[in-house]
Amino acid sequence: METKAPVLLNAVPPYGHVISSDKWRNSSLLQSLKGVKLIFENELGAADFHLPNKSRILYVSECDIIARNSYKRKLVRYRNSNSSSFQMLVLVENTRVSEQYFPAVQKFVAFDLGLTLLPISGQTEASQLLAQMVMKDNPFRRSSSSRLLDPLVLALVQQVPGVGRAKALALLQHFSSIGQLCNASPAELEPIVGHAAAQQIHNFFHKSSSSAAR
Amino acid sequence: SASPAPPGPVSILADSRCISNGVDLMSCLRQRHAATVHVCSLDGCYFIVSNRMAAERHSQSDLASMPNRKRLAERLNGLQGSFERVCLIVEKDRTKPGETSRPFQRTRFYDSTLTALVNTGVRLLWSSSPEESAGLLADLARLEQRKGQGIAVPLEVKGQHRQQALQLYSSLPSVNYAHALNMSHNFSSIAQLINSSVDDVQKGGCMGRTRAEEVYRFLRYSCDSFLMHTSKSGRSSSS
Repeated sequence: METKAPVLLNAVPPYGHVISSDKWRNSSLLQSLKGVKLIFENELGAADFHLPNKSRILYVSECDIIARNSYKRKLVRYRNSNSSSFQMLVLVENTRVSEQYFPAVQKFVAFDLGLTLLPISGQTEASQLLAQMVMKDNPFRRSSSSRLLDPLVLALVQQVPGVGRAKALALLQHFSSIGQLCNASPAELEPIVGHAAAQQIHNFFHKSSSSAAR
Repeated sequence: SASPAPPGPVSILADSRCISNGVDLMSCLRQRHAATVHVCSLDGCYFIVSNRMAAERHSQSDLASMPNRKRLAERLNGLQGSFERVCLIVEKDRTKPGETSRPFQRTRFYDSTLTALVNTGVRLLWSSSPEESAGLLADLARLEQRKGQGIAVPLEVKGQHRQQALQLYSSLPSVNYAHALNMSHNFSSIAQLINSSVDDVQKGGCMGRTRAEEVYRFLRYSCDSFLMHTSKSGRSSSS
């Protein structure tokens, strides 16, 4: 029985490096991969490459796709090998020869297995993409949304018909939360916004708005 | 209510801005995939295929062009705030009749955009035509329906007061239009939602726990009237 060191399966290379499965040595993909340091390893399990951003890559070639079925087993084995929080990517060669099968491949990879598929035309494009993935910057980094809630509360209160900014501000000075405002009686609202508006606001919150009778 | 949803037609919401370049897609969704599609005014050009999933559709050249990336990043970040799952359908550019189809020139910029999208957790799907995109949207909606996340309430809300209530629900932070729809069908009045427990908010809005907690906290959040007035400017002048 083979005994695989789990350390290697979970190995994350340092920035600027790629861990590549041994079988890719001498491939045109790696030969055109410039400015990236390579570490060869034959214990990567089902994956072909490990990248510094904690992602694993499986390469599905045109041949794999045309031969049918064998690639599915490879993909399932790959998916099941994910022991930790790796991002699992699948590069799929989408060429003139394989494009007729592409929708079916995508269905299997993305819908059945829930993996991320990236189409490429061949090894040259794959190596360009890999080179980008090894780089560090991410223009889409999520801005942590530590937004102030006060303006949002103010905006919501203005959704009440007949309540503009001035009335909303006045109301929130007396009833500081939406919960308090909703549960205020018309009599409590009246000194702030007048009789008619007080009635209207109270009704708005308490009027039945459900389509289903309860 | 653990009964599995009947495999009826899937419900999809589409922003009105999706129509301009999506007529084929829309009719294909309705006719070939028998989806119930409701066009409404969402806060961006996207589709909602379940209570937790939104999908945007972009042409490949759109994704590859320089000035769009920042806007795309902002929009997707926004969507990720109110949807647990965000998909991007990348559609091959359409060639006009008579025009020879030029192979897409893949640039480093395009690759870095893809990489960034993948790293941010946006799911990418690939399509070669509007018809195929419609199929992907329907597949997504069906998959979500099987997982119990499909939009199960009617997509339309009738009556002025209900419409206004829907508007109000949509302005709750992190609440998407599908959650708001669920709320307007499941709560008998706005006051009922406001006075609900976290559990009931979660159930009525068909949303995740963290989101329900956020809504619950927001409804009880005590405003600082000073902060509200600072935006008026000029009032706070202390030396």
